[in-house]
Amino acid sequence: MKKSFLKPLRNLFKTEPQFYEQSNQQRIHLKEQDISSHYEQNLETFKSIFSIPKNFDVKIHDFTIRALNRRAFLLYISTMVDLEQIRKNIFGPLIESNQPIREIQEIVTFPIERTSTQIGEITETITSGFTALIIDGDPQCYLFGTSKVQGRSIEKSDNEVIVRGAKEAFNEKLVDNISLIRKKIKNENLIIEAHVVSKRSRNDVLIVYEQDLVNDELLKTIKDKLESLNTDSIIDLSILEQYLEERPRSLFPTILNTERPDRAVSFIEEGHIILLMSNSPNCLVLPATFWALFHSPEDHYLRTPYGNFIRLLRFMALFISMFSSSFYIAITNYHVGMIPPDLLMAMAGTRERVPFPSIIEILMMELAFELIREAGLRVPSPIGPTIGIVGALILGQAAVQANIISPIVIIVIALSGLSSFIISDTSMNFAIRLCRFLFIFAAGFMGIYGMGALMVLGLFYLVSIKSFGVPYFAPMTPHFSSGRDLIIRPVPMNQRLRPGYLKPKDMVKQRKD
Amino acid sequence: MKQQRGKLGIREYVSIAIMMVGLKATEETPARLYNMAQNAAWMIPLLSAVFFFIPLFLLIKTMSLFKGENLFYVVQKLLGRYFGFFVCLVIFVLSSFAFSFDTRDYSNIIRAFYFNTTPLLVLFAILMTICAYGAKKGIQHIGSVSYLIIFYVIISFIVALLLSTQDSNIQALLPIWGAGKLAILKQSSQRISMFAEFFMLTMLVPYLKSNKEFRKGTWIAYFCVSIQTSVATLFFICLMDQSLGGMGYPFHTTIRYISLGSYIPNIEIFFFVIWIMGVFIRFAAFLYIIALMFGHIFKIKDFEYLIPLLATLYLLIGNMPNNPIEVAQELKPLIGTISGPVFSAIALLLWLSALLKGEFKHAKNKNSM
Repeated sequence: MKKSFLKPLRNLFKTEPQFYEQSNQQRIHLKEQDISSHYEQNLETFKSIFSIPKNFDVKIHDFTIRALNRRAFLLYISTMVDLEQIRKNIFGPLIESNQPIREIQEIVTFPIERTSTQIGEITETITSGFTALIIDGDPQCYLFGTSKVQGRSIEKSDNEVIVRGAKEAFNEKLVDNISLIRKKIKNENLIIEAHVVSKRSRNDVLIVYEQDLVNDELLKTIKDKLESLNTDSIIDLSILEQYLEERPRSLFPTILNTERPDRAVSFIEEGHIILLMSNSPNCLVLPATFWALFHSPEDHYLRTPYGNFIRLLRFMALFISMFSSSFYIAITNYHVGMIPPDLLMAMAGTRERVPFPSIIEILMMELAFELIREAGLRVPSPIGPTIGIVGALILGQAAVQANIISPIVIIVIALSGLSSFIISDTSMNFAIRLCRFLFIFAAGFMGIYGMGALMVLGLFYLVSIKSFGVPYFAPMTPHFSSGRDLIIRPVPMNQRLRPGYLKPKDMVKQRKD
Repeated sequence: MKQQRGKLGIREYVSIAIMMVGLKATEETPARLYNMAQNAAWMIPLLSAVFFFIPLFLLIKTMSLFKGENLFYVVQKLLGRYFGFFVCLVIFVLSSFAFSFDTRDYSNIIRAFYFNTTPLLVLFAILMTICAYGAKKGIQHIGSVSYLIIFYVIISFIVALLLSTQDSNIQALLPIWGAGKLAILKQSSQRISMFAEFFMLTMLVPYLKSNKEFRKGTWIAYFCVSIQTSVATLFFICLMDQSLGGMGYPFHTTIRYISLGSYIPNIEIFFFVIWIMGVFIRFAAFLYIIALMFGHIFKIKDFEYLIPLLATLYLLIGNMPNNPIEVAQELKPLIGTISGPVFSAIALLLWLSALLKGEFKHAKNKNSM
């Protein structure tokens, strides 16, 4: 009702600006055609499509195949192919071989990936590192999978550091990422499906799942969602994540983004779906609940009591980082009676010469802490240590001596800042840090009552969030059968079930004999 | 974007029910009970539970004839269109007033104990806003939140009661029969309004998976709540003895009284936070049920949109009494004394009409076929 009322108003103010665009109708039409039977014309076509003299790394070799005694040309992008292979196995045999053979397959010593006739398709494959061979009088174009892109090798995981367990992380090469997953799940039911999500850059997205586990409806929802994206380019998985989320403006993340293949695999084994993308050193796990974002792989690798210990620690850290500063404000402003008298005297003594109300103090320090944190992240590593010195010395020691803040505030902020590092997921970490500010304002406004109110409001909001149809706090509430791996984790032998909210085809991980 | 409506699990239902009724032990109820039966006050919740068991049992039995239908549907089906409408209206009006005065009462508690200088209207408005937001999210989400915090509510309640034993005197319970056996019996029958919320909870039947789950959940919650209220009253009697009668809100006095050793003298804030969260959930559920009733009476399908409106209305009604005493001493007891017997009478009436109409036989025949 609200929307329909506002719509004419909005239309009045919001008009699409006029653009003067160049039509590429001619080019689209050209791409739909098949290659011509005239050799010269083909040469011209591809030269114009790839802007040959201008585009310096696109190479075209015009030569004669001795065995067939026909003219032909090879077309590839030299920075994306294995030049050695082309020279030795394709170009060499074609020029040198002089036995009268009719078949191209028999001349070259490199397998032909496929053949094609459509110009558009040939162009697409060349741009992804293939080599095209077009022969005079042959209606087909031969395509060789010669792609070899440069990139980083597999390295240690930087952002999700753990002590025990596999150390390797995804990198920017899709092939490496898939092999990292494949080597952990040796099962033919592991399906890796490719999807093209954008129109201009043609970014590939791989959907990875186990077909005898995954819920078909969920899979279809995700595929439909990917299909419905209508954009020119999505350069990174993190941007795709924002496209996919149901509530992109929400403070809380609903998709898990991880760079650890072992973690991705553990989710695939439970029936989740993983998205991979070229040029992104991470993967998306869909759907993700609060618990998936809250857990760390370390919890599972450590022995049960130790794993649970760090989990409880993390749970505590969550509360401390969210509430410590707001609790300080609430207590010092509204509920002074809570503080033991001796401590109250000490605090009042140190605060005596500070001219600001405590909420300003806290906000200043929180802001300073966030600044140091952000600066520490962006600063080039050689001058990194300076940040620590500046942060600790200037903002801590000197601010107290200058009577801008009281020492207890430093303790409170340090505690909340430190605890916030324990939440390892980047998005969750941000969510907690932003919520902290909301709680500070609520506490400043209405003390502990405001905090309680905001907490309940937040909980109401959180339980209503859904990630691809899965409630945020599932399987705790609403209840689903699961491995009961929530706040406390049982021993692995007792985690018999896969999470019920995914409705996997195979529910039981370990059957009882 | 309309989210798909799920079902309410039994865990969530039980926690809503416990929050809705169990929180009564934290307001002035124990003090009222003490005035009625002196140091035998702790028996009243148990005895009233026994008394109210009969109408509730009959009501649930009648409800089970109509699978997956709520109370108002059953009322209109059994009592006819016009009389049924009237009965529904009575229930709605009674619960509306109960809601208004209860929320006002809780705002009074907050003001009296924790925020003496804040205007009541601000506290009351915040309470209403949060409840309206929660109620608007729907009963499933209220259930989820209440399940998330129910354990903390119960644990903190138990801790508070256990800490109070430091200074309590078990001999305050004697003489065991307090004001006399007959007095206890008489007063218990008058306090059945304590469990009146269970009557309202039957509005939620369609949201549960089955009638069986509803029945099971109701009895679990009923048992827990009656024990809890009784135990709480017992601890308060032990702690405060005679002075309990003149006290406004024993739970809050207790949490202000107790301390963690000599170094941390005041720990009421910890209990207050958890208590206030429980209060928000209690009233969110209450408000949702009332809106559900309203929607059913006047045949409004998307009754969720009415919730902010109703909340504002109740805020205004609740704001009318001049002082806390008027609310706690006059209006709330008035609503209580009316609603208890009326609700039981309606339950009996429903059962009788079902019996006379032969609905039970029909159901039996249907099952045997």
